Amino acid sequence: MTRPLLEVDDLHKHFDVRSSRFSRKSKQVRAVDGVSFTMTEGETLGLVGESGCGKSTLARTVLFLEAPTSGEIRFQGQTLSEPDLTQLRRGAQMIFQDPYSSLPPRMQVSKIINDPLLIHHVVPEDEMEDRVNALLVAVGLSPDLGSALPHELSGGQRQRVGIARALAVEPSLVVADEAVSSLDVSVQAQILNLLKELQEERGLAYLFISHDLGVVKYMSHRIAVMYLGEIVELAFTHDLHERALHPYTRALMSAVPSIHRRGGTRIHLEGEPPDPSEPPSGCTFHPRCPMAQPICRVKKPELDEWLPGRVAACHFALSTTDDLPPKIEAEP
Amino acid sequence: MTDAISVVEEAAPRQEAAGVRAMRGLARRPTAVLGAIGVAVILVAAVFAPIIASFEPSSQDLAQSLRPPVWDGGDVDHLLGTDALGRDVASRLLFGARNSLMISLGAMLLGSLLGLATGLAAGFFGGRVDSLLMRLGDIQLAFPFILLAIAILGTLADRNVGHMILVLGIPGWIVYARVVRSRVLSEKEKEYVLAARSVGASGMRRLRRYVLPSVWQVVPVIALLDVGFLIITESTLSFLGLGLPPPAASWGLMLAEGRKNMLISPWLSILPGLAILVTVLSINLVGDGLADVLDPRLRKGTFRRRLLRGPVPQPVGAERALLSVRDLSVEFPMGRRVIKAVRHVDFDVRRGETLGVVGESGSGKSVTALSIIQLLDAPGRVTSGQIIFDGRDLARIPDREIREMRGSRIGMIFQNPAASLNPVLSIGHQMAEAMTRLDSLEDGDVGAASRRALRSVGIGDPERILRQYPFQLSGGMNQRVMIAIAMAAKPDLLIADEPTTALDVTTQAQILDELREITTRQDTSLILITHDIALVAERADTILVMYAGQVAECGPASRVVSEPGHPYTRALLDSVPRADIESGVKLQAISGELPDPATVPPGCPFAPRCPEVMEICQRVNPPSFTVAADHWAACHLWAPQEAEVSA
Repeated sequence: MTRPLLEVDDLHKHFDVRSSRFSRKSKQVRAVDGVSFTMTEGETLGLVGESGCGKSTLARTVLFLEAPTSGEIRFQGQTLSEPDLTQLRRGAQMIFQDPYSSLPPRMQVSKIINDPLLIHHVVPEDEMEDRVNALLVAVGLSPDLGSALPHELSGGQRQRVGIARALAVEPSLVVADEAVSSLDVSVQAQILNLLKELQEERGLAYLFISHDLGVVKYMSHRIAVMYLGEIVELAFTHDLHERALHPYTRALMSAVPSIHRRGGTRIHLEGEPPDPSEPPSGCTFHPRCPMAQPICRVKKPELDEWLPGRVAACHFALSTTDDLPPKIEAEP
Repeated sequence: MTDAISVVEEAAPRQEAAGVRAMRGLARRPTAVLGAIGVAVILVAAVFAPIIASFEPSSQDLAQSLRPPVWDGGDVDHLLGTDALGRDVASRLLFGARNSLMISLGAMLLGSLLGLATGLAAGFFGGRVDSLLMRLGDIQLAFPFILLAIAILGTLADRNVGHMILVLGIPGWIVYARVVRSRVLSEKEKEYVLAARSVGASGMRRLRRYVLPSVWQVVPVIALLDVGFLIITESTLSFLGLGLPPPAASWGLMLAEGRKNMLISPWLSILPGLAILVTVLSINLVGDGLADVLDPRLRKGTFRRRLLRGPVPQPVGAERALLSVRDLSVEFPMGRRVIKAVRHVDFDVRRGETLGVVGESGSGKSVTALSIIQLLDAPGRVTSGQIIFDGRDLARIPDREIREMRGSRIGMIFQNPAASLNPVLSIGHQMAEAMTRLDSLEDGDVGAASRRALRSVGIGDPERILRQYPFQLSGGMNQRVMIAIAMAAKPDLLIADEPTTALDVTTQAQILDELREITTRQDTSLILITHDIALVAERADTILVMYAGQVAECGPASRVVSEPGHPYTRALLDSVPRADIESGVKLQAISGELPDPATVPPGCPFAPRCPEVMEICQRVNPPSFTVAADHWAACHLWAPQEAEVSA
């Protein structure tokens, strides 16, 4: 077992949202509500979930771009706390979703990549130019592009610049938040393959966040599924593909359009994701769950190990819809 | 819709320094050119006043007092005449320009720098710094600035240019600070500033290297308008005797002195008045021009449909089809360049059929859809072809008829339903408006019709939805409302442009199921536009794959995904990570980038990226060849062996 790179323990990030401009009452949105996981070096942990499930907040909180409400984050064995984040700032980097807004619009490409080198004094001044060029080549760009401004580049090229910036300080962890979602499919595959190659060359660990299950499956060794601020299932990719334990994971998998399924079976979820400021009682998924039972309305399931190495937060993780009595009727 | 916009944006001229572009933009506006000439003349006059002027501005010659200008009987020595003390008016005007510009430019510089600094601090640091600075600004704006200036200047016995600059300049900060602050607030939330934080850049570094370069450009535009205001204020103060003390030359002072001799020599007041007018007008003309150039939204024209007037091609055999598009081409003229967004596209949609149109950005899929209902964004226009819908050519029918067809016979839904709904009207209100337009409303009960329409798209409690506003509903619910409105008219054809791209997959599945159900029930043809080939593989009867404005492949959905005829389709299928298969196989990425829609290569547009490229592909753009029954691909691989391909 390689040593843990990142340990996240019972992490919470809550936001106060004022219910109206003139009221003093505020609601609390539990964007991240008790998340724990561990990542080892060189591993890709995929994080999948729908909009509003808290996956982006989790990414930003793990990197201390937002201070956690409670919980502990250990990076390379060191517990993180403000203001001393030098080790994290150098050892962990982020790749963003939008290649248009994530690069400073009026800074030359070489300067964008150079800035982290300047901040952390990674290499002596006279080697910086070579270093920047080497990084450009590593992400598949010509060093000539160093003098370009971001708006002169295509979306795929910009995303490569963003990757080069993240790699400049030689991090061991890269958090990729929807890193390919805004790219055209023909360019998306190039970036995914680039990320995989860089991982092999440099032993990077990725926390790879996406709403796209296909992309997450392609990239990840393990996958965590998030629903309403919590991880509801965590498994090795192969195991998850073979058999998903949580009904939400199953629904998610069946909702993704498939080239081979025409008019086939699909698990239907009812309703819409609930308002995160007023989460349902018991299991937060029960109002939409096709196999909800009376207990689900009152008792919150723990993230338990149901099969060796398989955790899921569901009272009936080993059952299917057929095993259980019909779904309870919603309360009037 | 998004496609059309992205095409237009990509078409922006490649890298030309912003300054050069602004100059070129200004040069195209006659009023701005006129203003620039005026400003240049006045600047030259002010700078070279000591050389140009033939007299000292304050040298008196009582023998020559109150001479008229040369056109009014004066002599050439004093071109514009003299004032009551015999001073040369022309010289005084020149030196007046010098003083006036020195004071107003100095004040503008002081105010803008002060405003830039405070605006940056307030926006970036926020919190108490922000509250303090902005409340100070509020107080200052509430206090009548001119009175303050009068009070301060009145106590100064010996006023010089420096005093004037301080009094006029300092109060200007708030105008700049407010605008800079709001720009900083929006910039600092952008991901690139977050990225700078995650690489460990300190607050000052983020402000200096990341935020400042993106916000300072607002300052010159305000500054230009500010200068005009300052010139007038300076003249007003001088007129009131609170500017530079006599005998200094100043336009306001000249105006005040001239007033005393108004009847004897009206030119004494008219000339400085004209000087002020011309200066401020010139500056404002340049300022307006600059604002136009820097804000492209103001220059983009509004939508105007253009009828296709070209010769009508031979009618096509479209007996089975509800919609037959033949040889459709759409262009966006952008300055000197022309973006060929759609080129010679052919396809049919049969009654009740679902046609899935797949393509990446710039493929022309959305432009094709918008040209069917003749709602192209300006300056797009259909340049050739036919759009035969139920026997009528939509590219050639008059506006009135196409308006009647939109909504009633052809419905359309877009990617962002919240943008298509009016945010300040309740859903009920908007649905009622749509329902009253229906001819089919038998009983006249609009409410009942609205409820029926919402139920038809799977909304269980229509009453609640009708009472709510778009912002209270989720994206999925808003899209259902849009579908309900579109389908209530029982259209023959519904065009859905990326209807679920902004939604979650579980919601997407629900919406698409409902869409399929309602179109099947009403026997409506559906054109489903998407970037997701798996989505149309599941949902469409026929798939049309578009690339770079052309049809790459068209055929039955099951055939296109199982036996794709075009290398692009094959590459697209291989490059999408799939949720339904186990990973482990490396994705086959398509090398290279999407082509630039403005520069169309002579051959096949996919040739530079194609793994099976042949020599002919570089030269000849392939027509559609038959792959199998009802299955075509625009690829030379399918060219009949014996047939000769003509260029």
